[in-house]
Amino acid sequence: MTENVSDLVLDGNAAAGLLQEIFIADITTAQIQCEACGSTGGVGSLRLYAAPMGAVLRCNYCDGILMRAVHTPHGRWLEMRGARYLRY
Amino acid sequence: MTAIETAAVPVRRLEWQLAEVREIVVETSRVKSIMLHVTSWQGHRPGQHLDIRLTAENGYQAQRSYSIASPPEEELLTLTVEQIANGEVSPYLVGDLRAGDQFELRGPVGGYFVWTAAMGGPLYLIAGGSGIVPLMAMLRHRERRNSRAPALLLYSSRSLEDVIYREELDAMTRRDPDLRVVNTLTRNQPDGWRGPRRRIDKALLGEKCFPPEQKPKIFVCGSTPLVEDVSRFLVELGHDPFTIKTERFGPSGV
Amino acid sequence: MQEAPITRGFRSRRQEQTSKNRVPPGQYVTTDFPILSAGPTPQIKVENWNLAFQLDGSLLGKWSWVEFEALPQTTIKKDIHCVTKWSKLDTSWQGVTFDDLMKAVGLAKPPQAYIMAHCDGGYTTNVPVADLVGGQGMIATGYDGLPILPAHGGPARLLVPHLYFWKSAKWVRRLRFMEKDERGFWESLGYYNYGDPWKEQRYDGD
Repeated sequence: MTENVSDLVLDGNAAAGLLQEIFIADITTAQIQCEACGSTGGVGSLRLYAAPMGAVLRCNYCDGILMRAVHTPHGRWLEMRGARYLRY
Repeated sequence: MTAIETAAVPVRRLEWQLAEVREIVVETSRVKSIMLHVTSWQGHRPGQHLDIRLTAENGYQAQRSYSIASPPEEELLTLTVEQIANGEVSPYLVGDLRAGDQFELRGPVGGYFVWTAAMGGPLYLIAGGSGIVPLMAMLRHRERRNSRAPALLLYSSRSLEDVIYREELDAMTRRDPDLRVVNTLTRNQPDGWRGPRRRIDKALLGEKCFPPEQKPKIFVCGSTPLVEDVSRFLVELGHDPFTIKTERFGPSGV
Repeated sequence: MQEAPITRGFRSRRQEQTSKNRVPPGQYVTTDFPILSAGPTPQIKVENWNLAFQLDGSLLGKWSWVEFEALPQTTIKKDIHCVTKWSKLDTSWQGVTFDDLMKAVGLAKPPQAYIMAHCDGGYTTNVPVADLVGGQGMIATGYDGLPILPAHGGPARLLVPHLYFWKSAKWVRRLRFMEKDERGFWESLGYYNYGDPWKEQRYDGD
């Protein structure tokens, strides 16, 4: 049943494949700072939502969106407005 | 977008490769290990996972991620899969797949949840259900490297029959005085069971774990509730959050 | 696109489209009701819930739960289609149509051509008003005769079943008229702005 429940809360590790397609690098080990609350953590530890449609990575402390990524047949999209920095 | 390369990890484009099933091993009533041969596999680090892709005759595709259970020292890649009721992919992998079959996979993926012997210990591993899989890759690698890093596995399962890799873990602890395994059985316990009988809580973590001063490398893998509770307890017990790596799995809460 | 090798014996759990008239291209019928969310499920108490209807920064109307339930209720039965390829047939929803919301605030005609739906948790989606009127859109509070579960968007979600289901925004709290179209959450990140399943408008560039 859980395989049909796309609402599984996974984490940045599960988004690693999609992110690596975009960054051409594994950023799950990178440190990322939340723009909204200033907390810092590993990309791999962030909560991941919306997995079949794309990756929405949220801050573990304030639930703010740090990163959004989508893989479409016409290209890959990435938005990181919610992150102050990515460091690796 | 410009390509960004990390100094430490050589990276190449992820591509789908064909894997062939060499052997299938029954682990428990719902869990099987699948040994795969992948021609141009470039190696992996313990804790990483890979994506698999299945294509039906009508073109329908399903994609899932599975942790690699085998250490990099093994030639064949092992995936350990739990069958989920009403699942779409796991019933095929656990029920229909046979030696000689092929499917696509891509990886290895994920550098965050990784432990290699070079990183040293102590190593503190906490697993719920099928969350044991990436941690087992770490323990198998540790043994192959003859690592003396003290290691402790705290493993939560519903019953003794549901403990994945049970015999292998028993044998490992017999061979290695620096490895300890604590099983907690949350639903059914055999007669005479003297181990813990409850979900992993703060008391159990505090009782069993390396003290924070030893700065253990901590890896927690299981359902989201387990992972989030355990992480919180570990921080309350004084562990530095940066030393705690987590991986949330979909199915199987114990 | 290169042909992927067939995996022996693998079959979709989902049924093949039984009637070509009912299932848009590329979709598979499911009897489950999969859940997909861009964020954690908000736990909303109806006592604290309200729905706002806005035009250029001023409030056309605002309803508490009790007031909203007192508006004319409509039940519809529709097929729904998710961009992730599942379709669910004959789903039954109850709520207040967009037409009745307009009537409730005294609007005979829509003042502007587009709506942005704003939701608890920050999700947004944009829909042309032409796709909401004439019974095409509603604010739904019931599914199959029962209150919509939080995980499925309760207490209230936008429902626009003739477009891909990402437009049926969960946890809707505000409908804002717009003079010019603006792209919402998924529409600004690679998904098609309109989203007609019958034309397979999944991604920008399709």
